[in-house]
Amino acid sequence: MPGLYELANPVRFERIARPALPWLAGITFVLSALGLYYALFNSPADYQQGDSVRIMYVHVPAAWMALFCYTVVAGASAVGFIWKHPLADVAAKEAAPIGAGFTFLALVTGSLWGKPMWGAWWAWDARLTSVLILFFLYLGYISLWRAFSDKTRAARLAAILAIVGFVNIPVIKFSVDWWNSLHQPASVFRAGGPTIDASMLPALFLMAGAYMFFFATALIQSMRNELMARRCARMQAVDAQAASILVEN
Amino acid sequence: MRQDAGRRCAGSFNIGGKLTKKTRRIYLALGAFAFAAAAVGLTLSALKSSITYFYMPSEIAALASTPSKAIRLGGLVETGSIEYLSPKGGSENEALVSFSVTDGGNSIKVTYAGLLPDLFREGQGVIVQGSFVDGGSVLKADNVLAKHDENYMPKEVADALKEQGYWNETSKSD
Amino acid sequence: MSALSAIILRDLQLAFRAGGGSFQAVGFFSIVCVLFTLAVGPDIALITEIAGPVLWTGALLATLISLDQIYRADREDGSLDVIAATSEELALTAAAKAAAHWLSTGLPLILATPLLAILLNLTADAYFPLLMSLLIGTPGLSLIGSFAAALTVSLPRASLLISIIVSPLYIPILIFGAGAASAGAAGDPQFAANLKLLGAATLFAAVTAPLASAVALRSNLD
Repeated sequence: MPGLYELANPVRFERIARPALPWLAGITFVLSALGLYYALFNSPADYQQGDSVRIMYVHVPAAWMALFCYTVVAGASAVGFIWKHPLADVAAKEAAPIGAGFTFLALVTGSLWGKPMWGAWWAWDARLTSVLILFFLYLGYISLWRAFSDKTRAARLAAILAIVGFVNIPVIKFSVDWWNSLHQPASVFRAGGPTIDASMLPALFLMAGAYMFFFATALIQSMRNELMARRCARMQAVDAQAASILVEN
Repeated sequence: MRQDAGRRCAGSFNIGGKLTKKTRRIYLALGAFAFAAAAVGLTLSALKSSITYFYMPSEIAALASTPSKAIRLGGLVETGSIEYLSPKGGSENEALVSFSVTDGGNSIKVTYAGLLPDLFREGQGVIVQGSFVDGGSVLKADNVLAKHDENYMPKEVADALKEQGYWNETSKSD
Repeated sequence: MSALSAIILRDLQLAFRAGGGSFQAVGFFSIVCVLFTLAVGPDIALITEIAGPVLWTGALLATLISLDQIYRADREDGSLDVIAATSEELALTAAAKAAAHWLSTGLPLILATPLLAILLNLTADAYFPLLMSLLIGTPGLSLIGSFAAALTVSLPRASLLISIIVSPLYIPILIFGAGAASAGAAGDPQFAANLKLLGAATLFAAVTAPLASAVALRSNLD
């Protein structure tokens, strides 16, 4: 019999999540449409890169989200591990595949931009390599979750891995400053203000907002799915138990 | 035998409890802190000597002998040094080209046959991969990568900056 | 300390006696190097150039396949429960297990390296930097690997999962280790910088891996 505490939070979560979802999805749609319009039609071509600069509006927010999602995974893992909060465990578990998707998107779009600009699809420099490591970390985290049938144990062990893997995040962020790499240094979140012209920032921030709301929408929906699946599994277990008692009698 | 050994070491855990739990924890924390401090110190000292994805021309000049293996050379394409050596029959980008890579101090002549990236131009940061030929005087490149800087702006803004003299070429040489 | 040395001694006895993992790891290491050389073909100059990286990768892979054994036997015969229940500092015990793994796997790999280096036609200048980088880097491999083994100890078959978990964590050690080996061979001043970063990675692993292993073991055993 699951404790009341364990049930109370998912129920409260469902009560907030269900009405919030259409709004989140709507905002995601509006921001994506606006962001794409700005990125493709309403922003200038770069003085050096020409129209290829438009790849940046897909690539840079995806890279931000790759780091942000891992931070969410590690943060939720820490909360779940320390306070044994089941909802935090579910959040960590469900944020990881979304983060892996953003990481993959950042790698692919970066590659598409790199070929015409740098002259190579891929270079083994510090930034690219550390983002690739991040992608593998996501895969390891997801695999560890899937390997255990006991969800409570899986949550604790995956949380330990997520927290240990968090050391990679500052390495990614500062790799372009510490090492003499091929990838350019940060343009927006840097000491001394952005080095991107103001006319390019609206498209970038609209896309970043769209990604952020997409993340919230996808995370909440997949958390609902996971909670529902767990409830089904519990009810089936109770059913099976009842059936076996009936058979015995 | 394994069972036996297990019992043996399990038993010995209870012996030798000279340290109390608290002092032992303090010693352990101090030890861990010393290790972590040493790790940070080593990292900082290594970063000072800068692990590089590429060498600058001055770093090559400072080496005792010209490297025999393939290296990556980074720097700016020296203004006025780009020469197309093969007849401009087909696309200009496919031509055999020679240019110098400079870091302000030293410069190294590079030859390359192949497709150049869009960003390749005078004053642009490039990373050239290849090995030295002709007794170390010329770097024969297998690969030319253009390094982009962190500045993004429309062409009009760049032109206006240049006109007003706010353009800082050296800022792009990172 | 007697408890910790008892654990190390016992693990070493198990590893070096009949059926132990040490010889298997060294054998696997040799086979990886030979297969690599055969795949490259008769280009001696190319083999010489890639000898350092191949030896580093081979040592890493041989470590990787031996990780599953760190806690497996102890878990199966129940001694892991005894060790965890009676251990005063489980993190120190985990460090001892990692040390035993290095002594029984990492050290034999390093001892085998000069012999394999002859097969790979490694240049004379490259021996010292290669062995130096292996000596500093392989303890880090054992430490990080023992953490992955602790994470998966309650699973019936884990060696593939361990590889997936541990590979991203091994990448920095491989980059700095192989980087130091080839920079040292070329007389490049980046040898020292790579070696320092390698040392930092191993020290960092020495602090975090035993603690994380202890937490993982407790989560797996309760």
